[in-house]
Amino acid sequence: MLTRNEMERYNRQIMIDGFGEEGQEKLKRARVFIAGVGGLSATASTYLAAAGVGVIRIVDHERVELSNLNRQVLHWETDIGRRKVDSATEKLKKLNQGVAIEAVAETITEANISQLVAGFDLIVDAMDNLPTRYLLNKAAIEKNIPFFHGAIYGFEGRAMTIIPGETACLRCVYRGIIPKEKFPVIGVTPAVIGCIQATEVIKYIVGIGKLLTNRLLIYDGLSMKFSEFMVKKDPNCEYCRHLTSKG
Amino acid sequence: MSIKINLHWHEWRELTNGQAVVEVSGNTTGQCLKRLLEQFPALDKEIFDKDGELLGYLTIFVNREPAFPEELAKPVKDGDEIHIVPLIAGG
Repeated sequence: MLTRNEMERYNRQIMIDGFGEEGQEKLKRARVFIAGVGGLSATASTYLAAAGVGVIRIVDHERVELSNLNRQVLHWETDIGRRKVDSATEKLKKLNQGVAIEAVAETITEANISQLVAGFDLIVDAMDNLPTRYLLNKAAIEKNIPFFHGAIYGFEGRAMTIIPGETACLRCVYRGIIPKEKFPVIGVTPAVIGCIQATEVIKYIVGIGKLLTNRLLIYDGLSMKFSEFMVKKDPNCEYCRHLTSKG
Repeated sequence: MSIKINLHWHEWRELTNGQAVVEVSGNTTGQCLKRLLEQFPALDKEIFDKDGELLGYLTIFVNREPAFPEELAKPVKDGDEIHIVPLIAGG
């Protein structure tokens, strides 16, 4: 049940065809796990908090550095040296007191990931390295949690939504290893991709629109072009081959 | 016979005289990539490893559908478009 204040606060999105009070109540009940508190997360978490997602857990072990500030817009100059989760929690709570922000200052590992994502309805992949993305993808499949992938480099971005058992997973598409490196990035790129991830999360929770499943979206900011490619479940995928497709 | 190879990576344009799309001929994706490298040899290390295998973080699409698992052996015909897409991991 929405309060009078919530009805007013979310009035413009409740007005959207197919959204309504029911959609807003679904957002209020939702529990979203966001892996990473960097560039993608800054945008995704901001818009999910603004939309009224009930619980957002953010996980990151790093502290804010000066070189983060060109893109990680939840962190400001006064936050340098603070834990990223504390800096982000403070801003998100100021944005929307009605959203519960759970801050976890840990490194996501094979040992703790299952516990970290337990009880969450969705996982947002806002990491900065492929090994942890694979861990998240695997945990999402094992626990049957929808998984919202985003990645960036320079002016380029990628996004894809994964519904375990129904669609191609990250491992069906990403098969190799990308060396961990200091990657170039301009802040607007994770903003674009983070917004796409947040859009997908909201659509999934509310149950409207067509998800970015079995499709890889490629954003080319320098050419200002979006390209879309079909992706398919790999019948030999080491992570999801055991799941029967319903789609 | 003309196949268009779309290179989805801006940094490669320094190696292709600024071209994002290169027209080649060939009956398979592998043949087309070979023609591409004949035109632009500097691309070789961007696409293949030292053993001549396709780099693991590249995905090949033909007419926007995945070429996997026959990424270098997928038959192509006149008018088809090959896309080479590097996957990325930054956040």
